[in-house]
Amino acid sequence: MSAWIVLVAVATGTYALRASMFVVLGRRNLPAWTERPMALVAPAAIAALTVSMLLTSDQSFDAAPVEELLAVLVGFLAVRRTGNVMWAFAAGLPVYWVMALVIG
Amino acid sequence: MTATIDLAGDPRADSIESPTSRDAFLQGVRDIVPMVLGVVPFALAIGAMIGTSSLSSAQGLFSGPGILAGAAQLTTIEMLEAGAAPVIIILSALMINARLLLYSTALAPWFREERLSRRLLLAIPVIDQLHFTCTPRFERGDLDRRARQAYLAGAAAFLVGAWTGTQAVAIVAGARLPDWVGLQVAAPLALAGLLAKSVSARPAVVAALVAAVVVVVGAGLPLHSAVLVAAVAGMCAGTVSTRRTTEGAGR
Repeated sequence: MSAWIVLVAVATGTYALRASMFVVLGRRNLPAWTERPMALVAPAAIAALTVSMLLTSDQSFDAAPVEELLAVLVGFLAVRRTGNVMWAFAAGLPVYWVMALVIG
Repeated sequence: MTATIDLAGDPRADSIESPTSRDAFLQGVRDIVPMVLGVVPFALAIGAMIGTSSLSSAQGLFSGPGILAGAAQLTTIEMLEAGAAPVIIILSALMINARLLLYSTALAPWFREERLSRRLLLAIPVIDQLHFTCTPRFERGDLDRRARQAYLAGAAAFLVGAWTGTQAVAIVAGARLPDWVGLQVAAPLALAGLLAKSVSARPAVVAALVAAVVVVVGAGLPLHSAVLVAAVAGMCAGTVSTRRTTEGAGR
């Protein structure tokens, strides 16, 4: 039962975050100075999220699996080169498999 | 039904003829295809994980379309399994999703002429991949109000459909994938792909690097707030570096 409460609360809260500015900015423009920071939302937020997922549950890199770090790095570079996000998996997963085999 | 569209007061709209709603919808679907292919393994991983968790099928099926944000969904389920206090789980997940506030701020101005009920509807699918697909497209300035809505709807329909459908299949089929498949790396890989797309100019590189460093340094911050703190720090650093490089260029 409490799992339902948590799931519904997270879903509702997440929607509130999404909808907030759609409500507030209804009839107003953002001031011009916000334009530059807004363009940096994606790179900053996604970088933070990606790196946080690579940290292990004790919040450090100490026990972070090398194969995961390397796979993500290769995936990142492959997408840089090709400009297509599909390549993150096409290049990253094989690296992960090979590394997992090598490290055993 | 009038064919004239009120573009007054929208400096971004110009005289270029906008695609029809139908064309814009299909464009949205087409443009988000690479992003969708990028999230399918992530959805598969979450679905497989739900299959082995103590969540009921109904709870698992709800969590995907309900939360509609993979990292927070993953964290919520992991913390539920670990027996964390409900309040802590909710706050942690919302902290991870606080970045959606920023996406909301970026996307909302494109729809400020719509009625509130419509805007509340358009906000439902706001997420990294959607922001990533829609914002650059809107900035080209050739979509009118109606076409922008249709474009977002097309992109969102495909993204949410694929996300929800893949998770549902994985949950119902009770996918038990062997460890070597390495689906735990699917989430960071999906994000790394998005990151590679987003760091095009120098300020973006600065923003990403600073955010990455801050999230490691601040990893011990309570309630997963490091992600939000790092994102804001990255935005600030990137903005400062923009000012530096364009100094003297006015403003």
